Amino acid sequence: MSRRYDSRTTIFSPEGRLYQVEYALEAINHAGTAIGIMAKDGIAIVAERKVTSKLLEQDSSAEKMYILNENTLCGVAGMTADAGILINYIRESSQEYLKIYNKEPPLEHIVKHVCNLKQGYTQYGGLRPFGVSFLFAGYDDRFGFQLYTSNPSGNYSGWKATSIGANNSSAQTILKQEYKDDLDLEDAKKLALKVLSKTTDSTKLTSEKVEFSTVSLASNGHVQLKIWKPEEIDKLLQESGVLEDTEEDK
Amino acid sequence: MSDPSSINGGTAVAMVGKDCIAIASDMRLGSQSLGVSNNFEKIFNYDHVFFGLTGLASDVITVNENFRTKTNLYKMREERSIEPEKFANLVSSSLYERRFGPWFVGPIVAGLNSKTGKPFICGFDSIGCIDFAKDFVVSGTASDQLFGMCEALYEPNLEPEDLFECISQSLLNAADRDALSGWGAVVYIVTKDKVVKRYLKSRQD
Amino acid sequence: MDIILGIRLKESTLFATSKAFTRGISVLKATDDKTIDLNTHNMMAYTGESGDTTQFAEHIKANVQLFGLREGYDMESSEIASFVRNQLATSLRSRKPYQVQVLIGGANNEGEGFLSMIDYLGTRCDLPYAAHGYAAFYTMSLLDHHYKDDISLDDGLRLLKLCEEELTKRMPMDFKGLNVKIVDKEGIRTIDF
Repeated sequence: MSRRYDSRTTIFSPEGRLYQVEYALEAINHAGTAIGIMAKDGIAIVAERKVTSKLLEQDSSAEKMYILNENTLCGVAGMTADAGILINYIRESSQEYLKIYNKEPPLEHIVKHVCNLKQGYTQYGGLRPFGVSFLFAGYDDRFGFQLYTSNPSGNYSGWKATSIGANNSSAQTILKQEYKDDLDLEDAKKLALKVLSKTTDSTKLTSEKVEFSTVSLASNGHVQLKIWKPEEIDKLLQESGVLEDTEEDK
Repeated sequence: MSDPSSINGGTAVAMVGKDCIAIASDMRLGSQSLGVSNNFEKIFNYDHVFFGLTGLASDVITVNENFRTKTNLYKMREERSIEPEKFANLVSSSLYERRFGPWFVGPIVAGLNSKTGKPFICGFDSIGCIDFAKDFVVSGTASDQLFGMCEALYEPNLEPEDLFECISQSLLNAADRDALSGWGAVVYIVTKDKVVKRYLKSRQD
Repeated sequence: MDIILGIRLKESTLFATSKAFTRGISVLKATDDKTIDLNTHNMMAYTGESGDTTQFAEHIKANVQLFGLREGYDMESSEIASFVRNQLATSLRSRKPYQVQVLIGGANNEGEGFLSMIDYLGTRCDLPYAAHGYAAFYTMSLLDHHYKDDISLDDGLRLLKLCEEELTKRMPMDFKGLNVKIVDKEGIRTIDF
């Protein structure tokens, strides 16, 4: 029955569902996990990179973390190629906003903007939706640090801590238990890695499988966006103690 | 009189020293003979690339905003800042895009290559023809006067402090012979590990 | 020969515009208002080609209001100035550019005054005091001489009085007096001058 309504993104099924959008959401539920935690002095995002083959050349730069403008970065779960299109779209529209108003766009503005584009593909004919969910982390002077997610339907929501991708529900269960309102960035970083290590299928976390980024404020009040380098991630993994934990669990 | 590049007035100059560069501009913004502002800087920078823009003030603002956009996108895409040589070619092609309706600007570029540390300067006409120079480039309504001053004062391989003196005297004395330039000046001295920005007190008439 | 004057003060911005509406050699109206409120804390004074001026002013106002609705907060003075400049600079290279010069002023969130001057070319300049047209020739020297940073509203109004006297004395036509408005953190208000 559902087959008749599968192929078109823009047609409701008799049960009132948009199958293509649901399939896109399902695709993301199989993609590598990304977890974001907001603390009072910053935000940490951690993501799992699936290593498909030992022979694959490892790109030194991050695949799932992107800087979008002076105040914002994002983590990606889903089809990386689709994400590239959207990230370019966000970067260009951020620069356009900067050109017109001489001010970085508020974080929610760019989230809303890219969600409008995503929404279009659930309504206008013939094309497939973008198979990507985002974790947006950023800072603006009206609302301070903010963490948002968006998904292929074009919906977005703000969070204190959340996750997207594979095992996101179990990750969120742990986050719900462990999140505290007075968390600082150091705690958030450790918690993010801990949650990832508990939800991931891989046995041992290494910089090959983990990507990491943070948003914080420098002493001069400027926003600091940092996508961590492999060596730094290895060091962080060592310090956080998640490596020992996982071995104990075994 | 209705030449767009000399409505607002203003002038800029860049020089090469020993492992350093200097770039400077006046601070006047006028409307024909009337002085409007003595706080209009014409030197911009995109990380370690320095960019001087003279000409129609509206286009100075617009062109700076355009290159801020382009260099920001470059930086995010390439995960490094643009180098002076590459930036010069970006300026050239971007200006030539407007071959038949140009931005009325006289851009100059100066900077040190972050890998090799080699000083680089160049100037452009309003449609993007690059003028590579080893010693100095000038631009703006006092460019004729600046050519004279630079020709007289410039010598190769000056140390940063001497280069500062050379470029400052060149600019100040050139601007004094131009009714549309002056009203303060700003000078950047760029070495491998330091950028020094100095404001010059100058005649306020 | 419209008079458009703005003075930035410590906690407010002062605007003065001539009341005469002229076409050619005739004064058609003696109660003209050459300003528009953009939002609660920002306003714009404008002059230029009649027709273009009101069209442009309302276009700007509509966009500033739209921004407020969309983003959930009022546009700040500097954002408005950037936006207006962008509109004029874009218009300059269109088939028929808006021939409008404006002063944009307001009070920011901290209650500081703001003043920006933009001409039809898209030349933007943030200044402590500004004037468009012939009024600039008569008033700038007075303002240069008497203006100090962070002066009070009363001192600002006294300074404006000096400017008005000079303009009345030197301008070749009767400009029918000045409309004076103040923007501060309380909002925008007209005052008897």
